[in-house]
Amino acid sequence: MQIFPRSLNKLPQVAGAVAAVGLVAVTFFIWYYFSPWFTQVGYSPRQPVPYSHRLHAGQLGLDCRYCHVNVERAPLAMVPPTETCMNCHQLVRTDSKMLDPIRESWATGKPMEWVRIHKLPDYVYFDHSVHVTAGVGCVECHGRIDQMEQVRMEKPLSMGWCIECHRDVRDKQGDSEHIRPVSEMTNMQWIHEGTVKPPRHLDPPENCFGCHR
Amino acid sequence: MTKRAPYPVPAAREPWPGSPKYWQSLEHRGRIDDPEHSDHWAVNAPEFPKGHTDTPPTEEAWQVSRRGLLGAMAATFAVVGAEGCRRPIEKIVPYTRMPEDVIPGVPSHYATVIQRRGDAVGVVVESHEGRPTKVEGNEVQSGSHGAADLVTQATILDLYDPERSTTPRKGGAAASWGDFEGELHAKLAAYEKDGGARLRLLMQPTISPTVLRMRSALVARFPKARAHTWSAVSDSNAREGARIALGQPYNSLFAYDKARVILSLDSDFLQTETGNVRSTRAFANGRRMRTFRDTMSRLYVVEPSRTITGGCADHRLRLAASDVERYAYCLAAELSKSGVPLGAISASVTRLANAEGIPGKWIATVAKELREAKGHALVVVGARQPASVHALAHAVNEALGAPGASLTYTPCADPDETDNATDIKALTDAIAKGEIDGLLILGGNPVYDAPADLSFGDKLAKVPFSVHASLSFDETGERCTWHVPRAHEYESWGDARALDGHVSVQQPLIAPLYGGRSEIELLALVANAPEKGAHEAVRATVRELAFASRGLTGCAPQGEGKLECHDAAGALVPVRAADLERDWNRGLATGVTVKAQPPASSPAARLAEIAAIIDKRRLPPRVGAGALEVTFAPCPKMVDGRHANNTWLQEMPDPVTKLVWDNAAILSPATAQSLGVASKDVLKISVGDRSITAAAWIVPGQADGSIALTLGWGRRKAGRIGDGRGFDAYPLRTVEALGFAPGAQVTKTGDEPYFFAQTQEHNSTEHRPIAMETTLADYRMRPNFAELDSPPPRALPLWSQVDYSKGHQWGMVIDLNACTGCNACVIACMSENNVPVVGKTEVWRGREMHWLRIDRYFVEDPKLGASADEPLIVNQPLACVHCEEAPCENVCPVNATTHGPEGLNEMAYNRCIGTRYCANNCPYKVRKFNYLNWHNDSVWKETGGLPETMQMQQNPNVTVRFRGVMEKCTYCVQRIQSVKIRNQRENREIKDGEIKTACQQTCPAEAIMFGDVNDEGSRVTRWARADRRFGLLSDLGTRPRTTYLGKVRNPNPEMA
Repeated sequence: MQIFPRSLNKLPQVAGAVAAVGLVAVTFFIWYYFSPWFTQVGYSPRQPVPYSHRLHAGQLGLDCRYCHVNVERAPLAMVPPTETCMNCHQLVRTDSKMLDPIRESWATGKPMEWVRIHKLPDYVYFDHSVHVTAGVGCVECHGRIDQMEQVRMEKPLSMGWCIECHRDVRDKQGDSEHIRPVSEMTNMQWIHEGTVKPPRHLDPPENCFGCHR
Repeated sequence: MTKRAPYPVPAAREPWPGSPKYWQSLEHRGRIDDPEHSDHWAVNAPEFPKGHTDTPPTEEAWQVSRRGLLGAMAATFAVVGAEGCRRPIEKIVPYTRMPEDVIPGVPSHYATVIQRRGDAVGVVVESHEGRPTKVEGNEVQSGSHGAADLVTQATILDLYDPERSTTPRKGGAAASWGDFEGELHAKLAAYEKDGGARLRLLMQPTISPTVLRMRSALVARFPKARAHTWSAVSDSNAREGARIALGQPYNSLFAYDKARVILSLDSDFLQTETGNVRSTRAFANGRRMRTFRDTMSRLYVVEPSRTITGGCADHRLRLAASDVERYAYCLAAELSKSGVPLGAISASVTRLANAEGIPGKWIATVAKELREAKGHALVVVGARQPASVHALAHAVNEALGAPGASLTYTPCADPDETDNATDIKALTDAIAKGEIDGLLILGGNPVYDAPADLSFGDKLAKVPFSVHASLSFDETGERCTWHVPRAHEYESWGDARALDGHVSVQQPLIAPLYGGRSEIELLALVANAPEKGAHEAVRATVRELAFASRGLTGCAPQGEGKLECHDAAGALVPVRAADLERDWNRGLATGVTVKAQPPASSPAARLAEIAAIIDKRRLPPRVGAGALEVTFAPCPKMVDGRHANNTWLQEMPDPVTKLVWDNAAILSPATAQSLGVASKDVLKISVGDRSITAAAWIVPGQADGSIALTLGWGRRKAGRIGDGRGFDAYPLRTVEALGFAPGAQVTKTGDEPYFFAQTQEHNSTEHRPIAMETTLADYRMRPNFAELDSPPPRALPLWSQVDYSKGHQWGMVIDLNACTGCNACVIACMSENNVPVVGKTEVWRGREMHWLRIDRYFVEDPKLGASADEPLIVNQPLACVHCEEAPCENVCPVNATTHGPEGLNEMAYNRCIGTRYCANNCPYKVRKFNYLNWHNDSVWKETGGLPETMQMQQNPNVTVRFRGVMEKCTYCVQRIQSVKIRNQRENREIKDGEIKTACQQTCPAEAIMFGDVNDEGSRVTRWARADRRFGLLSDLGTRPRTTYLGKVRNPNPEMA
């Protein structure tokens, strides 16, 4: 007696096809989701005003903290208010078309809307102040901003990447290449050589509550 | 399949005849003696609490059809597929002009003040970029001592209530402020012609000097106008009593910490009376035990229904409210007989002293105790007791030497306030006679809460021009010709005089959300006051008060930045304007602007006047089987109904009954039996020709023949949250019976049993000794009673031990002796940690999300004279105890809950997949699961999720948890981290006391201590080593980081 229907003879072929498609899908999944594409390294959106960090921070040599004033004392480094732009641009390039949105914001009081590039998930509580005062320079996470015409995400900002640095610093302290003297915090060209004396014993957290609450 | 029995749970000591019994509810009590349940109750008990898997009796279950589910899934996949390709573009929107002193991401704190009945509670409000999020107590202000009660904590949610009044309304239709002002000025001009003879003002009792000054300005403009005062919950009887006894309506400021014996006559001074925050701190200090050598005060409470004050009592007598007066006379007679000088009163009270139904010991022994504690004895009377009892208490307190020792009299803020009931009756009568053309109702909701016999609401229609200013367009606003939105306390300038006489300034945290105006601004508008705005008015008041406190008068500006004043002798005193500015700024920063003046002299009790009042009294009829009484008390949550639309308060379990989202008619088991009533039965309660319906709830310890109702429920126009919740008791309340009404009749309506949701049976102790307690005498013999009575450790740790001797190790200590069970910590926790509200049905299912709960156990202990009918209460706050050997961590399949290096049991929400294994394995049952996306899908579901304004309240430093995620107490890790980061930044060590958890910060009794247990000098280490310590369920080998200190009762052996 025939127990299985005849149509079941196709089962090996179907299973083979599904397995093949599945294999491709898994390959694609890993290839995409485990890659910097997914972490959006290289993300570089157009901003409402093509503000050039290369010009301001690189050529003119403005310190990062001229605009990002709270980086040493608050969780957020802070994108500057329109007022900061107008400090100079009331006098400099007053007729530039590119700066129209800034002048408009200043005149109307309507804030600028910049596009966020370095974004962490909502359940991550990153604090700039504790990093920069420990001797982690801006360049460690943001790359060579001073060479970027349009800011681009340089590092993956993934949890594995964070933890790697935390572990390195915990083990090597001042010998870790991620640590620099606090005075060189905003210096993008500084190169780690020899041992740096960190401002305090560094004990970066590796437990969940270190960053997630 | 074999049925495996759990490990046997050994009790500390086997029960012996007369051993104490702990139970959570009457149903639970019934099971204890049942042989079916007694030993292996845990085995036979269902896995889930009753209701978890049932369909709720009335409200619709959350149900999804198969078709609906498939549709939703398809839509979800489509959305996920479309959005998964790319992260959404997010905008950064910086300021245009940066406000000074704002650092984005770093909250600022402002000191302000909240009026709570007759006292001012100083608060410090946390503000994130201009958005107030959290209220904390102000350590500098004496009405707070750094603490805040549950209602004060919850005021922040009232600010963001999405159903607040948003616009002026004329006849219910939206209008503009311009229209209102135009019409008001026209009317006022007409009233001015006859001096305002046909203009009346109705306000709530106030302690604000500026409001009072503006009221006088109004009366100056309209000399014939009258200002009336009404609040459903007032201290009128106490004021009247003080006026009779002392000649002036003085405030009584009780120093409970200095008293050795305290007798409360129906006074819930720890929760619903004026000054509860400062009273709780003082009372807890008077009973704080560092070692067994310390002494503690003894509290006697005579009350009709259970309150938390009664729960803290060493001896509690349940007595109908109408019998309390008789008890007071009996006691006074006994005192006077034993030589306490009561003068003329002695004869009056002896005549009325009828001790029928009062246990003899409660008169003789209590009198003896009070007499022997002379100078350290206090008698406190509840607000609903008649003025004669208050007056008598003043005489007794004076005879016992309390004034100057444990009692201070301070001048009251508003000496002109008269008896509220008489006052509103006078107003209503005047309306009925047609004497009133214009009525301004500033605050309050008299249509809802005025005495029922006045029919205020109906008569209001006879007033041609009535204005109601209130936070919400409520029952009264509906009936007035005009309604205007009032500004919240956090939106406006104001001031308040605390019980001890100091003045604090109320400063706004945020501009009025809906353009509301404060009482001061509205009064200034009507009075045509010269000050522009409330800020200027408050500054002027404060300046005058500051001059007065220095004895200066007649100040006039004199040239640039100078003023010239005259002192008492008439000499010229120059005052620099810069100094005034400095004082003002300092006052704003600290929260205390004008310091209290030391009382000049203590007024003497006028015995003859008191005797005369007592002689006029006719005692109410005895409460018995046929003659019931109904008592009215302010609700610990809703007060008089003003907080009805507050979801946190609605969901907070009542401190005694543990009911949520409802009140009930509370009956004693005996009364219920004689009436043939069971819990949840719907009753018709009538007094005379007035009646209400309310569902019954049986509470042991309620006085027989007395039915307790709390006020503030059954609102008709509070909003989506508050409407129709609970049972309105106001229809039974008349001018003559504001506190309690004798002669009540009760019948069953025969309706379906009412659907109550309560939390008291949600967890089971499975007969383990949980809340350790003993008597003072036993404590002195066995200082480590709590550990001795706890089961011995029997489970060894599964894993190798972690070394916790280095670095910070956070720990907490909870002192059960100090805890009053007030629930302030529960609200503080919700406010700090974005804890969602789930709604009544979901609480019924056992899904409430409170990270911190207060377990209330009834104690039956013959040794303490506590029987099943009159059990004692012990409260136990319980949150995650952060076990060093946490059972939850071992069972998580995805490592979402792990142990941190500083001893915290950490919960990573983004890692949790919702298996709930951890909650099952937690012996403390403190882990809460998000069955739904509660913030959006519970009480606000119909309006499309959590309203935007309420989102403004949420703490940006705590993740808002989504559905499918387990959550629990984190020891306020965001506070730990922010202090740690600040100190690392500034390169300094964390000092003890720098980190306070939200529950610790707000605790009025200072029952919670938090800190580094590795720090030898820290307070938490000292507390954790106290002899009363015990580790809750530590016999399971969990090694909890939260240590408990056992409760000590101080019973009088002569009362046994």
